[in-house]
Amino acid sequence: MKVYIVDNGGQWTHREWRVLRYLGVDTRIVKNTTPFDEISDVDGLVLSGGSPNVASDADAMGNNGEYLDRADFPVFGICAGMQFLCEHFGGTLGESAVPEFGHVDLRISDHGDIFKGIPDGICVWASHNDEVKEVPEGFVVTASSSSCPVEAVRSADRPIYGVQFHPEVEHTEFGPQMFRNFLKIIDDWQK
Amino acid sequence: MLDVEGFVNESLESIKAQVSGKAIIACSGGVDSMVSAALVSKAVGDRLLAIYVDSGLMRKGETEEVRGMLQEMGINFKVVDAAEEFFSALKGVTDPEAKRKAIGERFIRVFEREARSFGADTLVQGTIAPDWIESGDGVRDTIKSHHNVGGLPKDMEMSLCEPLRDLYKDEVRQVARFLGVRSSERQPFPGPALAVRCLGEVTPENVAIVREACYIVEDEIGKAAASGGMELPWQYFAVLLPSRSVGVQGDRRAYGRTVVIRAVCSVDGMTATYAPIPTAILDRISSRITNTMKSQVNRVVYDITNKPPATIEWE
Repeated sequence: MKVYIVDNGGQWTHREWRVLRYLGVDTRIVKNTTPFDEISDVDGLVLSGGSPNVASDADAMGNNGEYLDRADFPVFGICAGMQFLCEHFGGTLGESAVPEFGHVDLRISDHGDIFKGIPDGICVWASHNDEVKEVPEGFVVTASSSSCPVEAVRSADRPIYGVQFHPEVEHTEFGPQMFRNFLKIIDDWQK
Repeated sequence: MLDVEGFVNESLESIKAQVSGKAIIACSGGVDSMVSAALVSKAVGDRLLAIYVDSGLMRKGETEEVRGMLQEMGINFKVVDAAEEFFSALKGVTDPEAKRKAIGERFIRVFEREARSFGADTLVQGTIAPDWIESGDGVRDTIKSHHNVGGLPKDMEMSLCEPLRDLYKDEVRQVARFLGVRSSERQPFPGPALAVRCLGEVTPENVAIVREACYIVEDEIGKAAASGGMELPWQYFAVLLPSRSVGVQGDRRAYGRTVVIRAVCSVDGMTATYAPIPTAILDRISSRITNTMKSQVNRVVYDITNKPPATIEWE
């Protein structure tokens, strides 16, 4: 299975590569300016986090929009990657009233896909100044925390998923399980 | 899991392809550079010379300890005393990034001199993933310029070989155990050494204070862990702050410096929690520092910040 990681400049982009490699996936980190046609043969795509303010610094997010529009495979957006996909499909972003750095108590409300087999309440690690204020139409919230109402989303009609926190870091509980679930989604999508 | 044997075989092949002439390796004695030295020496044998730079910024007894490890490994090595050169480059410098860049450049200038006299055209470094990630690039913010990446001058004369670029510390340790490298369990120590644990100007006097404080923290935590009083943290050390505060010592007013106890739990250095140190052990460290270093330090504090939002080192 081939799953590439779109590098939006995150501190933990390379950790996503490590987790996928450990799961035996054929994986590579690619620049977010890579033309879609050069990566269109992947089975799935991860949009990494990064330092850009997604709402005001659209240029820094390169071709993420094109990937989302043209993907006929599952896409998993992490942190800035999730913020971008929410804004791209019509949601709104803004500065977090209370930013989250480090430990966050996550409450999972939907165990259908990325959170399959994971308990309702777990500890995850986050690092963000901005957040999703309004979820785009056709998307549902799948997890939240006391300071961030939109910690995770999924599209109702396409295999597009997002998390505000970082499943790739060592301190997030069940992180590798979330990636395994994403790979299972890809597997099911291809059947 | 990392396929350690596969990694070693692949990296020996690529080192052989990359290093056709002679090479020197920047060797601090830490697990990253010692594993790199072991790999490159397996690949190119006597065409490698290890250089350990005594920057004057190393921990207590470190130079002698590393000399012993290099001797034991049986590779060519040279110890270069460059303390004066480093302190003069750091004179008056207080900004953390400026410090790191000045140190990075000094290292390279020493390596260039040594490479010329050995006839090497390749510089091997033990750079690992967090070093280049945190140093920043076209898309990534610079969190801190690691001396071996962000400190490299543009006009460097040698080509670089960095066999561990895609590994994190826990993976390097696995490779170290596989190769039988003795420093496999040594705690991480930054390239700019005690300079980034000495906030404000890096003078020989300030370095002497933080060196002794670091030694006490390492010694007390090491003893506590050995006797089962706590788990050994991933990394543990002291930081010297530039500010002063008022104290009272034997009925006399004191106005001295503050030392921070920093200890963290981590796997890869990219996220970390502060290590819980039992209060009895904190007590022992605090009293030992303030009693034995009374003319310099009269206050000890305990850093309880995770990464993020802090980093492990203070600069």
